[in-house]
Amino acid sequence: MSLRRTMLYLPGNNPNMLLRGHLFRPDGLILDLEDAVAPSEKDAARILVRDVLCRGEFGGCEVTVRINGMDTELWREDVAAVVPAGATGLRVPKVENPRDIRLLDEYLGEVESQAGIAEGRTAIFCLLETALGIWRAYDIATASPRVAALIPGGEDLTADLRTNRSADGTELATIRSLLVVAARAAGVDALDTVYPRVADDEGLRREVAFIKQLGFDGKSVIHPNQIPIVHDIFTPTEAEVEKAKRIVAAARDAAARGLGAVQVDGRMVDKPVVRRAEFTLSRAGLSGEVM
Amino acid sequence: MKTASAGTVESMDCIVTASEADPGSGVTVQIAGASAARFGSAMRAAVLSVVSKMGITDVTLSVQDNGALDLVLQARTEAALERLKGGDVA
Repeated sequence: MSLRRTMLYLPGNNPNMLLRGHLFRPDGLILDLEDAVAPSEKDAARILVRDVLCRGEFGGCEVTVRINGMDTELWREDVAAVVPAGATGLRVPKVENPRDIRLLDEYLGEVESQAGIAEGRTAIFCLLETALGIWRAYDIATASPRVAALIPGGEDLTADLRTNRSADGTELATIRSLLVVAARAAGVDALDTVYPRVADDEGLRREVAFIKQLGFDGKSVIHPNQIPIVHDIFTPTEAEVEKAKRIVAAARDAAARGLGAVQVDGRMVDKPVVRRAEFTLSRAGLSGEVM
Repeated sequence: MKTASAGTVESMDCIVTASEADPGSGVTVQIAGASAARFGSAMRAAVLSVVSKMGITDVTLSVQDNGALDLVLQARTEAALERLKGGDVA
Protein backbone atom coordinates (compact mmCIF):
# COMPACT_ATOMS: atom_id res chain seq x y z
CA MET A 1 0.00 0.00 0.00
CA SER A 2 1.52 3.33 -1.01
CA LEU A 3 1.03 6.17 1.46
CA ARG A 4 -0.90 9.14 0.17
CA ARG A 5 -1.01 11.26 3.30
CA THR A 6 0.05 14.36 1.40
CA MET A 7 0.01 15.18 -2.28
CA LEU A 8 1.58 18.58 -3.02
CA TYR A 9 0.31 20.70 -5.90
CA LEU A 10 3.09 22.29 -7.97
CA PRO A 11 2.30 24.92 -10.63
CA GLY A 12 3.11 23.42 -14.03
CA ASN A 13 4.82 26.50 -15.44
CA ASN A 14 7.15 27.13 -12.50
CA PRO A 15 10.53 25.36 -12.90
CA ASN A 16 11.70 26.27 -9.43
CA MET A 17 8.79 24.53 -7.72
CA LEU A 18 8.58 21.63 -10.18
CA LEU A 19 12.24 20.80 -9.63
CA ARG A 20 12.31 21.31 -5.85
CA GLY A 21 8.86 20.21 -4.67
CA HIS A 22 10.01 16.70 -3.73
CA LEU A 23 12.60 18.12 -1.33
CA PHE A 24 9.77 18.92 1.10
CA ARG A 25 9.10 15.16 1.27
CA PRO A 26 5.39 14.89 0.58
CA ASP A 27 4.13 11.37 -0.23
CA GLY A 28 3.09 12.55 -3.68
CA LEU A 29 3.39 15.41 -6.14
CA ILE A 30 0.74 16.84 -8.44
CA LEU A 31 2.28 18.69 -11.38
CA ASP A 32 -0.57 21.01 -12.25
CA LEU A 33 -1.44 21.82 -15.84
CA GLU A 34 -4.93 23.04 -14.98
CA ASP A 35 -5.85 25.93 -12.68
CA ALA A 36 -2.28 26.91 -11.80
CA VAL A 37 -1.46 27.65 -15.45
CA ALA A 38 -2.74 30.69 -17.36
CA PRO A 39 -4.55 29.81 -20.61
CA SER A 40 -1.82 31.51 -22.67
CA GLU A 41 0.87 29.32 -21.03
CA LYS A 42 -0.74 25.88 -21.39
CA ASP A 43 1.56 24.89 -24.28
CA ALA A 44 4.78 25.95 -22.54
CA ALA A 45 3.75 24.33 -19.22
CA ARG A 46 2.99 21.04 -20.97
CA ILE A 47 6.48 20.95 -22.51
CA LEU A 48 8.12 21.90 -19.21
CA VAL A 49 6.20 19.30 -17.18
CA ARG A 50 7.00 16.64 -19.80
CA ASP A 51 10.73 17.41 -19.56
CA VAL A 52 10.71 17.54 -15.75
CA LEU A 53 9.02 14.12 -15.75
CA CYS A 54 11.65 12.76 -18.15
CA ARG A 55 14.37 13.88 -15.73
CA GLY A 56 12.65 11.72 -13.13
CA GLU A 57 14.19 13.09 -9.93
CA PHE A 58 11.37 13.06 -7.40
CA GLY A 59 12.95 11.40 -4.37
CA GLY A 60 10.52 8.49 -4.22
CA CYS A 61 7.34 10.61 -4.37
CA GLU A 62 4.37 9.30 -6.32
CA VAL A 63 4.15 11.64 -9.32
CA THR A 64 0.82 12.56 -10.84
CA VAL A 65 -0.22 15.29 -13.26
CA ARG A 66 -3.43 17.27 -13.03
CA ILE A 67 -4.50 17.46 -16.65
CA ASN A 68 -6.94 19.97 -18.10
CA GLY A 69 -10.61 19.05 -17.91
CA MET A 70 -12.19 16.61 -20.33
CA ASP A 71 -14.56 19.39 -21.35
CA THR A 72 -11.57 21.19 -22.97
CA GLU A 73 -9.56 20.54 -26.13
CA LEU A 74 -6.39 20.21 -24.07
CA TRP A 75 -6.70 16.96 -22.16
CA ARG A 76 -5.67 14.59 -24.96
CA GLU A 77 -2.48 16.55 -25.65
CA ASP A 78 -1.74 16.62 -21.92
CA VAL A 79 -2.11 12.84 -21.64
CA ALA A 80 -0.07 12.19 -24.80
CA ALA A 81 2.76 14.36 -23.44
CA VAL A 82 2.99 13.30 -19.80
CA VAL A 83 2.25 9.57 -19.80
CA PRO A 84 5.16 8.53 -22.05
CA ALA A 85 7.34 10.93 -20.02
CA GLY A 86 6.74 8.93 -16.84
CA ALA A 87 3.61 10.18 -15.04
CA THR A 88 2.15 7.20 -13.22
CA GLY A 89 -1.11 8.92 -12.35
CA LEU A 90 -3.45 11.55 -13.73
CA ARG A 91 -5.62 13.77 -11.58
CA VAL A 92 -8.71 14.60 -13.61
CA PRO A 93 -10.69 17.74 -12.72
CA LYS A 94 -14.47 18.10 -12.62
CA VAL A 95 -15.34 14.45 -13.23
CA GLU A 96 -19.08 13.95 -13.17
CA ASN A 97 -19.73 11.18 -15.64
CA PRO A 98 -18.42 7.59 -15.49
CA ARG A 99 -18.42 7.68 -19.30
CA ASP A 100 -15.57 10.21 -19.21
CA ILE A 101 -13.47 7.84 -17.10
CA ARG A 102 -14.10 5.00 -19.56
CA LEU A 103 -13.08 7.31 -22.43
CA LEU A 104 -9.91 8.31 -20.59
CA ASP A 105 -9.18 4.66 -19.78
CA GLU A 106 -9.43 3.78 -23.46
CA TYR A 107 -7.24 6.68 -24.56
CA LEU A 108 -4.67 5.85 -21.88
CA GLY A 109 -4.54 2.30 -23.24
CA GLU A 110 -3.68 3.67 -26.70
CA VAL A 111 -1.03 6.07 -25.37
CA GLU A 112 0.57 3.40 -23.18
CA SER A 113 0.65 0.89 -25.99
CA GLN A 114 2.24 3.38 -28.43
CA ALA A 115 4.83 4.34 -25.82
CA GLY A 116 5.67 0.72 -24.95
CA ILE A 117 4.39 1.16 -21.39
CA ALA A 118 2.65 -1.71 -19.61
CA GLU A 119 -1.07 -1.27 -20.22
CA GLY A 120 -2.88 -0.17 -17.09
CA ARG A 121 0.16 1.44 -15.43
CA THR A 122 -1.36 4.92 -15.34
CA ALA A 123 -3.74 5.43 -12.44
CA ILE A 124 -6.66 7.85 -12.45
CA PHE A 125 -7.42 10.20 -9.54
CA CYS A 126 -10.92 11.66 -9.87
CA LEU A 127 -11.66 15.16 -8.64
CA LEU A 128 -15.36 15.44 -7.91
CA GLU A 129 -16.08 19.15 -7.98
CA THR A 130 -19.82 19.28 -8.57
CA ALA A 131 -22.90 17.96 -6.80
CA LEU A 132 -23.49 15.62 -9.73
CA GLY A 133 -19.96 14.24 -9.48
CA ILE A 134 -20.41 13.54 -5.76
CA TRP A 135 -23.78 11.90 -6.40
CA ARG A 136 -22.20 9.55 -8.95
CA ALA A 137 -19.03 8.94 -6.92
CA TYR A 138 -19.30 5.14 -6.72
CA ASP A 139 -20.10 4.74 -10.44
CA ILE A 140 -17.15 6.99 -11.28
CA ALA A 141 -14.80 5.07 -8.98
CA THR A 142 -15.78 1.75 -10.55
CA ALA A 143 -15.79 2.97 -14.17
CA SER A 144 -12.21 1.77 -14.68
CA PRO A 145 -9.78 -0.44 -12.73
CA ARG A 146 -7.32 2.42 -13.12
CA VAL A 147 -9.21 4.60 -10.64
CA ALA A 148 -7.02 4.91 -7.53
CA ALA A 149 -8.75 7.65 -5.57
CA LEU A 150 -11.67 10.02 -5.21
CA ILE A 151 -11.07 13.61 -4.15
CA PRO A 152 -13.80 16.13 -3.33
CA GLY A 153 -13.52 19.64 -4.70
CA GLY A 154 -13.33 22.63 -2.41
CA GLU A 155 -14.18 26.00 -3.88
CA ASP A 156 -15.91 24.74 -7.04
CA LEU A 157 -17.99 22.26 -5.10
CA THR A 158 -19.19 24.75 -2.50
CA ALA A 159 -20.08 27.18 -5.29
CA ASP A 160 -22.08 24.42 -7.00
CA LEU A 161 -23.83 23.72 -3.68
CA ARG A 162 -24.70 27.46 -3.53
CA THR A 163 -22.75 28.00 -0.33
CA ASN A 164 -19.20 28.98 0.56
CA ARG A 165 -16.31 27.53 2.52
CA SER A 166 -16.48 28.14 6.24
CA ALA A 167 -13.69 27.78 8.74
CA ASP A 168 -15.22 24.63 10.27
CA GLY A 169 -16.21 23.04 6.92
CA THR A 170 -19.87 22.42 7.86
CA GLU A 171 -20.94 22.59 4.22
CA LEU A 172 -18.53 19.77 3.24
CA ALA A 173 -19.18 17.39 6.14
CA THR A 174 -21.86 15.28 4.44
CA ILE A 175 -20.03 15.40 1.10
CA ARG A 176 -16.86 14.10 2.71
CA SER A 177 -18.68 11.26 4.46
CA LEU A 178 -20.43 10.26 1.24
CA LEU A 179 -17.15 10.29 -0.60
CA VAL A 180 -15.45 8.02 1.96
CA VAL A 181 -18.34 5.54 1.70
CA ALA A 182 -18.17 5.54 -2.11
CA ALA A 183 -14.38 5.18 -2.09
CA ARG A 184 -14.39 2.30 0.41
CA ALA A 185 -17.22 0.53 -1.44
CA ALA A 186 -15.21 0.81 -4.67
CA GLY A 187 -11.91 -0.14 -3.02
CA VAL A 188 -10.10 3.11 -3.83
CA ASP A 189 -8.49 5.80 -1.68
CA ALA A 190 -10.33 8.83 -0.33
CA LEU A 191 -8.11 11.92 -0.50
CA ASP A 192 -9.28 15.26 0.83
CA THR A 193 -9.34 18.64 -0.84
CA VAL A 194 -6.82 21.39 -0.01
CA TYR A 195 -6.94 23.63 3.05
CA PRO A 196 -6.71 27.09 1.52
CA ARG A 197 -5.68 29.14 4.58
CA VAL A 198 -1.96 28.47 4.34
CA ALA A 199 -1.02 30.54 7.40
CA ASP A 200 -3.58 28.89 9.71
CA ASP A 201 -1.74 25.86 11.11
CA GLU A 202 -4.24 25.25 13.89
CA GLY A 203 -7.16 25.32 11.45
CA LEU A 204 -5.34 22.83 9.23
CA ARG A 205 -4.61 20.59 12.19
CA ARG A 206 -8.30 20.57 13.20
CA GLU A 207 -9.44 19.84 9.64
CA VAL A 208 -6.94 17.01 9.15
CA ALA A 209 -7.92 15.40 12.46
CA PHE A 210 -11.56 15.61 11.35
CA ILE A 211 -11.03 14.09 7.88
CA LYS A 212 -8.79 11.36 9.29
CA GLN A 213 -11.59 10.44 11.71
CA LEU A 214 -14.02 10.30 8.75
CA GLY A 215 -11.76 7.73 7.10
CA PHE A 216 -9.74 9.72 4.56
CA ASP A 217 -6.32 8.41 3.51
CA GLY A 218 -4.71 11.81 3.06
CA LYS A 219 -5.02 15.37 1.89
CA SER A 220 -3.97 17.50 -1.05
CA VAL A 221 -1.70 20.34 0.05
CA ILE A 222 -0.80 23.64 -1.56
CA HIS A 223 2.10 24.78 0.60
CA PRO A 224 5.17 22.86 1.84
CA ASN A 225 4.52 24.09 5.41
CA GLN A 226 1.32 22.02 5.47
CA ILE A 227 3.17 18.73 4.89
CA PRO A 228 4.60 18.07 8.39
CA ILE A 229 1.28 18.94 10.02
CA VAL A 230 -0.67 16.46 7.89
CA HIS A 231 2.00 13.77 8.30
CA ASP A 232 2.03 14.26 12.04
CA ILE A 233 -1.71 13.62 12.29
CA PHE A 234 -1.79 10.73 9.83
CA THR A 235 1.24 8.97 11.32
CA PRO A 236 0.31 6.60 14.17
CA THR A 237 1.90 7.25 17.56
CA GLU A 238 4.53 4.87 18.95
CA ALA A 239 1.97 3.46 21.40
CA GLU A 240 -0.51 2.82 18.56
CA VAL A 241 2.19 1.08 16.50
CA GLU A 242 3.29 -1.09 19.42
CA LYS A 243 -0.30 -2.14 20.13
CA ALA A 244 -0.90 -2.86 16.44
CA LYS A 245 2.22 -5.02 16.33
CA ARG A 246 1.02 -7.03 19.34
CA ILE A 247 -2.39 -7.55 17.74
CA VAL A 248 -0.96 -8.64 14.39
CA ALA A 249 1.56 -10.96 16.09
CA ALA A 250 -1.18 -12.54 18.22
CA ALA A 251 -3.40 -13.03 15.17
CA ARG A 252 -0.50 -14.61 13.28
CA ASP A 253 0.23 -16.91 16.21
CA ALA A 254 -3.43 -17.93 16.53
CA ALA A 255 -3.66 -18.65 12.81
CA ALA A 256 -0.52 -20.82 12.96
CA ARG A 257 -2.01 -22.81 15.83
CA GLY A 258 -5.34 -23.15 14.08
CA LEU A 259 -7.14 -21.01 16.64
CA GLY A 260 -9.93 -18.62 15.74
CA ALA A 261 -9.98 -16.33 18.73
CA VAL A 262 -7.16 -13.96 19.60
CA GLN A 263 -6.46 -12.35 22.94
CA VAL A 264 -4.31 -9.24 23.36
CA ASP A 265 -3.72 -7.38 26.63
CA GLY A 266 -6.43 -9.48 28.24
CA ARG A 267 -9.07 -8.61 25.64
CA MET A 268 -10.59 -10.65 22.85
CA VAL A 269 -9.68 -9.27 19.45
CA ASP A 270 -11.79 -9.98 16.40
CA LYS A 271 -11.11 -9.70 12.67
CA PRO A 272 -11.98 -6.00 12.17
CA VAL A 273 -9.59 -5.06 14.97
CA VAL A 274 -6.82 -7.09 13.34
CA ARG A 275 -7.53 -5.36 10.03
CA ARG A 276 -7.37 -1.98 11.71
CA ALA A 277 -4.06 -2.92 13.33
CA GLU A 278 -2.68 -3.97 9.93
CA PHE A 279 -3.82 -0.65 8.53
CA THR A 280 -2.10 1.22 11.37
CA LEU A 281 1.17 -0.56 10.54
CA SER A 282 0.76 0.26 6.84
CA ARG A 283 0.22 3.90 7.70
CA ALA A 284 3.36 3.82 9.84
CA GLY A 285 5.28 2.57 6.81
CA LEU A 286 5.60 -0.94 8.33
CA SER A 287 3.74 -2.90 5.66
CA GLY A 288 6.24 -5.72 6.14
CA GLU A 289 4.69 -6.38 9.54
CA VAL A 290 1.30 -6.95 7.93
CA MET A 291 0.28 -10.55 7.31
CA MET B 1 9.90 40.17 -38.46
CA LYS B 2 7.92 37.51 -36.58
CA THR B 3 9.05 36.69 -33.03
CA ALA B 4 7.77 34.47 -30.23
CA SER B 5 8.82 34.04 -26.59
CA ALA B 6 8.44 31.49 -23.83
CA GLY B 7 9.45 31.46 -20.15
CA THR B 8 9.34 33.82 -17.21
CA VAL B 9 11.67 36.04 -15.17
CA GLU B 10 11.31 33.78 -12.09
CA SER B 11 14.41 32.17 -10.60
CA MET B 12 15.51 28.89 -12.22
CA ASP B 13 13.67 30.00 -15.38
CA CYS B 14 14.65 31.91 -18.51
CA ILE B 15 12.95 33.75 -21.34
CA VAL B 16 13.74 32.46 -24.81
CA THR B 17 12.81 34.69 -27.73
CA ALA B 18 12.85 33.19 -31.21
CA SER B 19 12.86 35.40 -34.30
CA GLU B 20 12.48 34.42 -37.92
CA ALA B 21 15.68 34.65 -39.94
CA ASP B 22 16.24 34.88 -43.69
CA PRO B 23 16.67 31.55 -45.50
CA GLY B 24 20.32 30.55 -45.50
CA SER B 25 21.26 32.81 -42.61
CA GLY B 26 21.66 29.89 -40.19
CA VAL B 27 21.08 29.69 -36.44
CA THR B 28 22.19 32.51 -34.15
CA VAL B 29 22.05 32.18 -30.36
CA GLN B 30 22.60 35.06 -27.93
CA ILE B 31 22.76 34.34 -24.21
CA ALA B 32 22.58 36.88 -21.42
CA GLY B 33 21.99 36.65 -17.70
CA ALA B 34 23.19 35.04 -14.49
CA SER B 35 25.08 32.04 -15.84
CA ALA B 36 26.02 33.26 -19.32
CA ALA B 37 29.68 33.98 -18.54
CA ARG B 38 30.40 30.63 -16.88
CA PHE B 39 28.11 28.23 -18.71
CA GLY B 40 27.44 30.04 -21.98
CA SER B 41 28.86 27.34 -24.23
CA ALA B 42 26.99 24.49 -22.50
CA MET B 43 23.80 26.55 -22.62
CA ARG B 44 24.32 27.27 -26.30
CA ALA B 45 24.77 23.55 -26.97
CA ALA B 46 21.55 22.77 -25.06
CA VAL B 47 19.61 25.32 -27.12
CA LEU B 48 21.13 24.14 -30.41
CA SER B 49 20.23 20.51 -29.73
CA VAL B 50 16.54 21.50 -29.61
CA VAL B 51 16.80 23.57 -32.79
CA SER B 52 18.42 20.68 -34.60
CA LYS B 53 15.91 18.12 -33.26
CA MET B 54 13.10 20.29 -34.58
CA GLY B 55 14.78 20.46 -38.01
CA ILE B 56 15.04 24.27 -37.99
CA THR B 57 17.93 25.72 -40.00
CA ASP B 58 17.37 29.49 -39.92
CA VAL B 59 16.40 31.26 -36.70
CA THR B 60 17.68 33.82 -34.23
CA LEU B 61 17.36 32.93 -30.54
CA SER B 62 17.92 35.20 -27.61
CA VAL B 63 18.07 33.77 -24.06
CA GLN B 64 17.65 35.85 -20.92
CA ASP B 65 18.73 33.44 -18.21
CA ASN B 66 17.82 33.51 -14.55
CA GLY B 67 19.53 30.33 -13.39
CA ALA B 68 17.69 27.80 -15.57
CA LEU B 69 18.89 24.20 -15.72
CA ASP B 70 19.51 22.77 -19.20
CA LEU B 71 16.17 20.97 -19.21
CA VAL B 72 14.31 24.22 -18.52
CA LEU B 73 16.35 26.04 -21.17
CA GLN B 74 15.44 23.33 -23.64
CA ALA B 75 11.75 23.29 -22.68
CA ARG B 76 11.53 27.06 -23.11
CA THR B 77 13.41 26.92 -26.44
CA GLU B 78 11.03 24.28 -27.74
CA ALA B 79 7.99 26.29 -26.60
CA ALA B 80 9.27 29.49 -28.23
CA LEU B 81 10.04 27.66 -31.49
CA GLU B 82 6.66 25.92 -31.51
CA ARG B 83 4.98 29.27 -30.99
CA LEU B 84 7.01 30.83 -33.80
CA LYS B 85 6.14 27.92 -36.08
CA GLY B 86 2.48 27.87 -35.16
CA GLY B 87 1.90 31.58 -35.23
CA ASP B 88 1.00 31.46 -31.52
CA VAL B 89 3.12 34.50 -30.75
CA ALA B 90 3.41 35.36 -27.04
